[in-house]
Amino acid sequence: MMKVYDQGSSLFWLLFSISVLIESLRLGIGTLQNPETGFMSFGASGLLGILSLILFFRTSFKKEEAKIKSPFHGTLWKRVFLVLIALLIYTKLMPVGGYLISTFLLMTFLFFIIERQKVWWILSFSLLTTLVTYYVFSKWLNCQFPSGLIGL
Amino acid sequence: MGFFDNILLGFQVVIDPTNLLFCFIGVVVGTLVGVLPGIGPVGAMALLLPATFKATPTSSIIMLAGIYYGAMYGGSTTSILVNIPGEAASVVTCLDGYQMARQGRPGPALGIASIGSFIAGTLSIVGLMLIAHPLAKAALRFGPPEYFALMCTGLIILTYLAQGSMLKALMMALVGLIIGNVGLDMITGLPRFTFSIDELTDGVGIIPLVMGLFGISEVLINIEQKMKREIFQTRIGHLWPSLRDWAMAKWAILRGTLIGFFLGILPGGGAILSSFVSYAVEKKVSKHPERFGKGAIEGVAAPESANNAAAGGALIPLLSLGIPPNVVMAMLYSALIIHGIQPGPLLLKNNPDLFWGLVASMYLGNGLLLLLNLPLIGIWVQVLKVPYRILFPLILLFCLIGAYSVNNSTFDLFLMILFGGVGYLMRKFDYEGAPLILAFVLGPMLEQSLRQSLLISKGSFMIFITRPISAIALGFSIFLLLSNIFPHIKKRRQEYRELKE
Repeated sequence: MMKVYDQGSSLFWLLFSISVLIESLRLGIGTLQNPETGFMSFGASGLLGILSLILFFRTSFKKEEAKIKSPFHGTLWKRVFLVLIALLIYTKLMPVGGYLISTFLLMTFLFFIIERQKVWWILSFSLLTTLVTYYVFSKWLNCQFPSGLIGL
Repeated sequence: MGFFDNILLGFQVVIDPTNLLFCFIGVVVGTLVGVLPGIGPVGAMALLLPATFKATPTSSIIMLAGIYYGAMYGGSTTSILVNIPGEAASVVTCLDGYQMARQGRPGPALGIASIGSFIAGTLSIVGLMLIAHPLAKAALRFGPPEYFALMCTGLIILTYLAQGSMLKALMMALVGLIIGNVGLDMITGLPRFTFSIDELTDGVGIIPLVMGLFGISEVLINIEQKMKREIFQTRIGHLWPSLRDWAMAKWAILRGTLIGFFLGILPGGGAILSSFVSYAVEKKVSKHPERFGKGAIEGVAAPESANNAAAGGALIPLLSLGIPPNVVMAMLYSALIIHGIQPGPLLLKNNPDLFWGLVASMYLGNGLLLLLNLPLIGIWVQVLKVPYRILFPLILLFCLIGAYSVNNSTFDLFLMILFGGVGYLMRKFDYEGAPLILAFVLGPMLEQSLRQSLLISKGSFMIFITRPISAIALGFSIFLLLSNIFPHIKKRRQEYRELKE
């Protein structure tokens, strides 16, 4: 199973290196006497491409010694996915909703998803962490948090 | 100024109340992150870096260094009491530390870990004082080819010592170099890989990158499983080791100190490697190797001494050559750059207060850590009982605040989350983050010295061979690469021969 993942990841890095290589050529690599903007990234992406190919072929010709389970087997990967989505929504919500509202919503979600608790516990802990962090970072350490459209 | 004048200057700097406070905060936070799983010293340094922007460079570096060696102390507590290493350099302490706790001797285990750490930390500072100055003087003669070769060697050693596949570690180093290329070209001023995004003009920030790869991904790995901690329910009792314990551990402490110090200096080495090597050496030299893994006190003393000595040793290449040898030093390097200080041979001449202040703060910090970790051990045990359901959301929130507060930019938040997701997948597929970060930090320097070398030599790569230091460094790197490739080829040939037969 790990073989498939290694093949997949090596192909990903190969595609990544090809796109960097193309962009480096567009930027201009110059000459050895006068290296230009894309010189370093051209060399690094070229080497990355070669190493990705080596990894791909090495894993392709390798015998899978035993049945190895998927790295996601038996894990709560859906929880990880949901947390990542929540964090991304938070980055979009914060400028609009302000620090207090968006952080309260995020913390409520995180406390809920990481381990199910009683609603009053989740709400009071979310409120407490939001207010304490707001006070410490905004009032004490002068961080400039967005106040959002409704000014909170 | 003479040697003792410099030490006096250092203590004058460190007894300033602000520097004292920063040293104290650093070692307390360091112990805390060492004790708590979910965030290591690198993540904690990235988190607290924005908080140092208004402080002086000396205070900031004193605090950030305190986090590093404080974490080395704190990491042993969880290894011994919970069998979960608080950070990677304490993994090997679990083997005998936890067994000692199970045998009703958690006190002497914690005691020898703290005292060994103190002795090693103090001796490594003496080594730092003695070696850094002459090395910085010698480094004044280094040119771009020497710097390029040394940085390449550092990256190759780090990938060679990678826990998993060297091939994957090399790939990650190259990805780090490419990410380090984002932003304006330092020579021509032209934008590279910015995709017309204004925020990328200054390049990818070290804080979102490190917090994503080391902070967010660590939490994600932890929350994907149902974790249960069992703190060993026993009275810690007296912490002072017995005379018999001392007799068994004294040479282990000294050997651990030497190994840790020299492996710390080595590019790509550091606390993790030195703790493993010192444990292996102890087991090898012991008359009763069968005791290891069953509660041998040398198995606690040696790695804990080694990881603290490595903290002092790793500062030598950073402060005297301006080359960070590992990922933690890369964070310190970035902090110095952000504060307008260029690490390197001229640091000792231009900023003696910073260098000697840092050295003196480490003496003081080691003393503070001994006080924090021995009489106050009960408090750290209580900290261990903070439930994960509270801990992990809080770490995520602190990472978000830390990344946002650098530039007040939600784009940095987005970058951090993106790298968090990438870091999670990297861990799943056995790609290491450390080579990526070190290459990312070294990238701009590496590029500059390569381009300068080629300009000097009019495009000839012979410049790296004709100069002895760069030739030796590059020769060593090639030897390391080949030594990794040859066993594979030999194995393949053998397999082919067997198949043929």
